Amino acid sequence: MEPILTLEAVSLAQGNRMVLENVEGTFAPGSITALVGPNGAGKSTLVQAIMGVLKPIRGRIHCGVPSDRRAWLPQQLALDLTFPMSVEELVLTGCWPTHGSFKRYGPEEYRRGQAVMQRLGLQAFEHRPLGELSGGQRQRALLGRTLMQKAQLLMLDEPFANVDAATVDILIEVLRDMAAEGVSIIIVLHDHDQMRRLADRVLWLDRGRATWVAPSSLDAASGATLSNHATADASIHSHSVNERPA
Amino acid sequence: MIDWFISPLTDFGFMRRALVAGLALSLVAPPLGVFLTLRGMSLVGDAMAHAVLPGVAIGFLMAGFSLPAMSVGGLIAGLVVAGLAGGVSRLTGHREDSAIASFYLISLAAGVMLISLRGSSVDLTHVLFGSILAVDSTALWLIVGVSSATLLTLAAIFRILVVECLDPLFLRGQGVRGSAVHALFLGLMVLNLTAGFQTLGTLMAVGLMMLPATAARFWSKRIEGLMGLAIAIGIFSSVGGLLLSYHAGLPSGPCIILLAGVVYLLSALFGRYHSVFARWRRRVEPVLPADAHG
Repeated sequence: MEPILTLEAVSLAQGNRMVLENVEGTFAPGSITALVGPNGAGKSTLVQAIMGVLKPIRGRIHCGVPSDRRAWLPQQLALDLTFPMSVEELVLTGCWPTHGSFKRYGPEEYRRGQAVMQRLGLQAFEHRPLGELSGGQRQRALLGRTLMQKAQLLMLDEPFANVDAATVDILIEVLRDMAAEGVSIIIVLHDHDQMRRLADRVLWLDRGRATWVAPSSLDAASGATLSNHATADASIHSHSVNERPA
Repeated sequence: MIDWFISPLTDFGFMRRALVAGLALSLVAPPLGVFLTLRGMSLVGDAMAHAVLPGVAIGFLMAGFSLPAMSVGGLIAGLVVAGLAGGVSRLTGHREDSAIASFYLISLAAGVMLISLRGSSVDLTHVLFGSILAVDSTALWLIVGVSSATLLTLAAIFRILVVECLDPLFLRGQGVRGSAVHALFLGLMVLNLTAGFQTLGTLMAVGLMMLPATAARFWSKRIEGLMGLAIAIGIFSSVGGLLLSYHAGLPSGPCIILLAGVVYLLSALFGRYHSVFARWRRRVEPVLPADAHG
C-alpha cells in the first residue's frame, strides 16, 4: 500500500539544539504507530514537523495528506480547560476544512455532529461547557472534533493521561475503528499495556536517535529492551505496518 | 427621576456627543476584552494602552489637541511597540508579555517626557486621563468609524479567534497563520485604545475593555453570553458614569471606569460562577440527600 507519510533522513532542531537526527520511516493508511521515549526525547518535535509547523534542518518529510486533513490532539493540559465552549461547539469546529471561518453550519453538519457524539457516548453532555467535563469526557470531545474533520492522519499526545479506564476502552475502540477506515494514527504513549493493545509498531526516540521496535518486545523488561535498541542501534529501520497485534 | 436621566442629554450637546461616544466604545471594547481574557492577555491590553503614549504625544506636539493627529500617532506607536515586542520575543525566546511590559514602560516614560518638553501639566493630564465631555464632532466621527470597523472585523474573524484561543495548533494545521490572526487582533486593540483615549485617557481607555469582560466571566460560561454581558456592563458603566459625573460634578472618565469596577467587584462577590458566594454555596451543599441522614 502506498505510504501516506514518509520521513527521509529527517533531522530536527529546536533553536540551536539538535533534537533528532536521521529519522526514517514510512506510514501506511490504517497504521497505528506509538511514539515512545523519555521526556525531551523529541516526540513533540517530531509531531510538530509532521504537522508542518517545524521545518527539518536536513532530510525531507513527504506527506500525501493535505494539511486540513491532518489532525492533532494535544495534551489536555495544553488547553484552557475553562474555555467557554460547549461539547457540540467544539465537535463542530472540526468542520473547518469545509466551512472555514465564514460558512454557517447547516443541518447536515449538526446531524453529523450528533452522530459523532453518539459514537463517543457524549450525547448527554452536548450542551455542557468544556470546563464542567471530566478528563475522559473532554478527551472524547476532542477526538470528536477529529472525527468531524474526517482526518486522514491523526496525531495524539498522551491521550489517555488523566482518563478513566472506561474512557480508555472507548477511545481505543474508536481509534482502532478509525484505523480500520484508513486513518493513519501516530500516538505519543507511555503505558506499555496501552501500547500493546493499540499500536502496530513503536518508534522509540532517545538521545537524538529514532529506532523502530515491535510492540511485542514491550514485555516486563521492556525498559531495558528499549534502551538496548536505542543505544546499540544507530541506524533506523522501517517495519511493515500491517502486523496488527492480536 | 426621569428628568435626572433625560435632562442632561436634552439640554447639552456635549452630553449627547459624550453619550454616543461612550455607547460606540461600549459596543466594541468589551468584546475585545473578552478575547484578551480568553487569550490570557489581560495585562497586555493595559501595557498597550500605555504604549500608545509617545505617538499621542508626537501628534499633540505637531498639531495640538487634534484627535486625528493624536490617534494616528498613537496607532503607529502601539503597532511599533507590538511589533518590537513580538520581534524581541522571537529573537530572544523570552515570553512576549515580558517584552511588551518592557517596551510599554519605555514608551510611557518617552511619552511623558515628550509632552513635558512642550506642554503644560494640564496638557499631560488631558492626554493621560482624557475628557469625554470635550468630544467634538470630528472626534465623534472617528470614534464611531473605528467602532464600526472593529465590529465588522470582529464579526468576520470571530470563529478564527475562538478556535485559535482554544487550540492554536489546530488552526495552524488548517493552514491559518496564527501570527497573522494575532497581529490583526493586536491592531484592532490598539485602534480602539487610540479611539478611546480622547474620552477616557490613555491610562483608563483599557478599563472599558477589561472590567466588563472580567466581570462577565462570573455570570456566563458561553462565549455569546460573555460578549453580550460585557457589552451590557460597558453600556451601563458608560451611561451611568456619564450621568453621575454630570450630576455630582466629577470627572467623567474615572466615573465610568469606577462604575465598571463596582460591577466587577459585585460580580466577584455574588456572580453565578466562581464568585466568592458561588464557592461558599457549593461548599455547604450536603454531600448526601436529606433523607440519607440519621
